[in-house]
Amino acid sequence: MKLLKVTLGVMTAIGGFVDIGNLVTSGISGARFGLTLVWALALGTLGMIVYGEMAGRVTAVSKRTVFHVVRDRLGVRFALVNLVASIALTMLTLAAELGGVGLAMELASSVNYLLWVPVAGFAVWFTIWRVPFQWMERILGLLGLALVVFVVALFHLPTDWHALGSDIVHPKPPASESMATWLFYAVSLVGAALVPFQLFFFSSGGIEEDWSSEDLGEMRANAFIGFPLGAVLSLAIMAAAVPVLAPVGIGGRHLGEVGLPAVVALGKVGLAFAIVGFFAATFAAAVEAALSTGYVAAQHYGWDWGKFVKPREAARFHVVCLLGVIAATALTLTTIDPVQLTLVSVVLGTAAIPLTFFPILVIANDREYMGDRANGRFANLLGVTCFAISVITSLAAVPLLIITRAGQ
Amino acid sequence: MSSREPLPHEPLELPPTADANSLLLDRQLYDADGHAIGKVDDLELSDPADGPPVVTALLCGPTALGPRIGDTVGTLWFELGRLLRPGHDPYPDRIPMSDVIVLNRTEIRVRGVPDSFGARRVERWLRTNIIERIPGSS
Repeated sequence: MKLLKVTLGVMTAIGGFVDIGNLVTSGISGARFGLTLVWALALGTLGMIVYGEMAGRVTAVSKRTVFHVVRDRLGVRFALVNLVASIALTMLTLAAELGGVGLAMELASSVNYLLWVPVAGFAVWFTIWRVPFQWMERILGLLGLALVVFVVALFHLPTDWHALGSDIVHPKPPASESMATWLFYAVSLVGAALVPFQLFFFSSGGIEEDWSSEDLGEMRANAFIGFPLGAVLSLAIMAAAVPVLAPVGIGGRHLGEVGLPAVVALGKVGLAFAIVGFFAATFAAAVEAALSTGYVAAQHYGWDWGKFVKPREAARFHVVCLLGVIAATALTLTTIDPVQLTLVSVVLGTAAIPLTFFPILVIANDREYMGDRANGRFANLLGVTCFAISVITSLAAVPLLIITRAGQ
Repeated sequence: MSSREPLPHEPLELPPTADANSLLLDRQLYDADGHAIGKVDDLELSDPADGPPVVTALLCGPTALGPRIGDTVGTLWFELGRLLRPGHDPYPDRIPMSDVIVLNRTEIRVRGVPDSFGARRVERWLRTNIIERIPGSS
């Protein structure tokens, strides 16, 4: 029974790893750069694993989320900057995910995505309002596993495995692309794998699911097995684009193009799986982003929060979530290009990663909080290494965004 | 500064020395039933003639937090908080130290939080005027 629960959790983590950021950045980089940027995806995933484990451990041991402790440990001004940055970025991401849900529905129905966006916004809000946390996580996570179709597609396509392997071990931009553009997509892949709000969400989810020290094994299985396998789905989307999109010069800048390899390989069935996977991945991330706006606000100001209490017992939390969904829906409805919005939000997100890492690293080292579950040497070595890398990518993010005009 | 005040009922376990900054400020507050009531936004100190200053109350609300943020943002937050308070009284909600029943690294639990407490009024207003009007809120 325990094993079943852990397996289910891991499968949920795999399906839940991918969101609009991964779909867009993997699709474009596969189409334009082959697998020369796999290192960036790997770096981002490593950061997500290391800091996800830390955030989860803090939550399980102290029964407090990481954002809860930011103000207490790092002061009211740092916490306020962190709060404002987190909410702004999470809203951008939410808008991008809603656009993604709309595009997935457009692929299925041929009805313009803009008509689907308000429906998606309402469905996201309703899920927050009424659907129990575990149901929401499990159903959407498992549906997200439909993206395995891209792994299957790889074996049906004329995949040149040798060339793919060669790309991975020779990371440099192809002759037709500039170094700046290549690095821009590298930063975007890091940011897609490592979305700051997902760490706050993972930590808050631990409270929603009532983790304790006994659940550390299950939490670690999610982080150590679920996240890397989730990244494998991203990798498959990237690799499947190489034999299909690159030869004909399709840039992967539309969700339909990202799904094309599945259609070429497996026909209608491939298309169906791809659409279900796109929908589940973006819808789950939209719900998580919307909840995260409420989580961080409530944890900063010390309100009651969460789906484990009825909405009327966490009125301020639910009002923030509702306002977040309305604002993000409005942003998407301005007809801003969802793919462009996704790229901007993941790259700005990369710039904010150190702001998220720093408090987690501090709290995971606090023995008063963590007792003998505080970071050991190995966790700190990895943590500090990832932090240093995140500072470098953070500094590079905005200049690259401007120089390349968001990867044009 | 020391906050080792004797409390009338359950004795509190406190470290031998502690400063209010790490022990009290920005710590999560709960009432006796475990409902969150906010964070410790500031402290009220009294300066008795015969001895060092003592913490007499925990202060809550934007009019306590605003001055700690400082600058324009802090002033705006303070003014917003003042407008929302009955009679526009800028003095924040206070919880006397004698009402503190649990004090540890992760939380402060207090008793006797009145319904007029600012955080409770905001929560109640939003509950009645927004949340309870949407079907399925309870």
